[in-house]
Amino acid sequence: MTSYFVRRFLLILPTFIGVTILVFTLTRLVPGGPIERMLNEAALAGAEGGAAVSSGFDGRGGSVLSDEQIEQLKRYYGFDKPVVLSYFDWLGKVATLDLGTSTRYTEPVWETIKSRLPISIFYGVATLILTYGVCIPLGIVKAIKHKTAFDNVSSALVFFGYAIPSYVVGIACLTLFAANLEWFPLSGFVSDDFDDLSTFGKALDILDHAALPLIAYLAGSFAVTTMLMKNSLMDNLAADYVRTAIAKGMAFRKAVFAHACRNSLIPLATSFGNTITLVITGSFLIEKIFNIDGFGLLGFESLVERDYPVVMGILVISSLLFLIGNILSDICVAFVDPRVKFGSGGSNQ
Amino acid sequence: MALLSIEDLAISFETDEGVVDVIDGVSIELEEGETLGLVGESGCGKSVTALAVMGLLPKPAGRITGGAIRFQDEDLTRLTSEELSRVRGDQIAMIFQEPMTALNPVHRVGKQLAESYRLHHPDASKNEIREESLRLMDHVGIPAAERRLDEYPHQLSGGMRQRIMIAMALSSRPRILIADEPTTALDVTIQAQILELLRDLQSEYGMSIIFITHDLGVIAELASRVVVMYAGRVAEEASVESLFKSPRHPYTKGLLASIPRLESESKSVLPTIPGVVPSIDELPVGCRFSNRCEFAQDQCTHAKPELEQASDGRKIACLRWRELEQDVAVSA
Repeated sequence: MTSYFVRRFLLILPTFIGVTILVFTLTRLVPGGPIERMLNEAALAGAEGGAAVSSGFDGRGGSVLSDEQIEQLKRYYGFDKPVVLSYFDWLGKVATLDLGTSTRYTEPVWETIKSRLPISIFYGVATLILTYGVCIPLGIVKAIKHKTAFDNVSSALVFFGYAIPSYVVGIACLTLFAANLEWFPLSGFVSDDFDDLSTFGKALDILDHAALPLIAYLAGSFAVTTMLMKNSLMDNLAADYVRTAIAKGMAFRKAVFAHACRNSLIPLATSFGNTITLVITGSFLIEKIFNIDGFGLLGFESLVERDYPVVMGILVISSLLFLIGNILSDICVAFVDPRVKFGSGGSNQ
Repeated sequence: MALLSIEDLAISFETDEGVVDVIDGVSIELEEGETLGLVGESGCGKSVTALAVMGLLPKPAGRITGGAIRFQDEDLTRLTSEELSRVRGDQIAMIFQEPMTALNPVHRVGKQLAESYRLHHPDASKNEIREESLRLMDHVGIPAAERRLDEYPHQLSGGMRQRIMIAMALSSRPRILIADEPTTALDVTIQAQILELLRDLQSEYGMSIIFITHDLGVIAELASRVVVMYAGRVAEEASVESLFKSPRHPYTKGLLASIPRLESESKSVLPTIPGVVPSIDELPVGCRFSNRCEFAQDQCTHAKPELEQASDGRKIACLRWRELEQDVAVSA
């Protein structure tokens, strides 16, 4: 099994290179980019400046910058070299943990990303805990009370939440609870006077701000996990070994927890490792609605602004986390299910 | 008095087509220390009857609608599931057909074995339980028991798994062991070993065994008395010797005739009972075997045959058994 995981880890490298090459090439092929943005900005500044228009205008396609300046900029951003060469330049820097400099914020990409991490991790962890904390017990109760009123009503609620896009839930909550009823703040991660609050006040303030976005995030996320848990437990409740446990003299309720539950968690474990990617999850729509400076919004804006170093930086982090998450999922499955043996070394049948 | 007596048991199942009487008036008595064979084709209600004794009918589909299951002055059908838990696994234990699925795949063998002991000996210490587990495993013929304790079911062979099941069932020295086709899923050589083991354990523990099977060969080897079931009713009941020597019910005759025999001409056609067991929602009125019976007459399709006691202590549920008996005597 060890050799299997070593192989899986070694495979990360080629996969990572494949993913980044693809996106890196794309950033070169699509129109727009930092130079065009600068030209536009300069042109705008020139238009406002009035007199500057004629002095900066050199009669060649309306550009405000000289060829020499543009060449300089291209060199600065590494656009003067062929794609392959500049890709390897970039990769070499990444290897030394240097993600480059944001063209929009003119600060190191890592700094830009780092400043968003606490917010994204907060929402990621909160969503994770609430999802599993609600879905697993709910799924268990629904399986035991299959086809009762409780089961039917909770199914209806869960699917209702699943059917509505999360941004609609977000907007609806914002309009109702924040704008009309004024129970919750309209936007942001913390209040303006956050630094002056006591520790308890700070926690309360964060929760106050997080309540509505969390509802938006969670509304649709209950259905899949709850139904997966319920169906998987129902399968296991009908399994022979649960009957054996009861035949041994065990009470049904105890048999559910002692025997059926662990087996029912196996399907959930197949995706559990990917929760490591939660730090970079975050829907830009919800972040936009609630004006939260998280990862989703950063990724979206840097794409729109053609801030390629940030785009690539986010890609590096997300693809690595995703690749590692897949391996973690495998480890989780092997952990909960003793029958799982990866590779050729472990067959005992 | 019989150790266990099933009296006029009726069980219905809720199906998509409505409620169906799967078991219709089954009466079986089990004496102290005897091995009772329960035979019939798949779907005849052998397992359902056994599950009803254990209170393990699939819920909420299956329901006991009549009759009683008497064991030690108690009617098991009237106990709450909590009260039943004290009998289950303690006084009456059961082993199943598929030892692979009957054991929990994610728990170690030792844990599952210890669990059945602990359930009925709540004060036992860890060491005591381990000692007892090793003793039991040794007893049911599992070599290197110490090592096996830490293995998972998938690491054991089918025969070993069934031995583990037997060890679990024996952990509380039950009065009755219900064995539901325990050898069907095993190789022939392993089958013989398991049967041997059950026989030895029975004489040692003095327990009664209800052995459910569709394999008449196994019955001949193990049981002293046989109950033949067909479509949720008892067709015939007799001692093994008399049943094999002179089957009376047409269904039993058909069953015995369809066993391949060495003395029959080679490559000859093996007799079979025409047709299949009717599905539970298409049971014939009257005698449930009437649509497959070569001796069926008009009356068989109307009247339900009662289980009648013959002078030699055997029981037959056939409207025409006396006539047929005479026919045989005349033609002979």
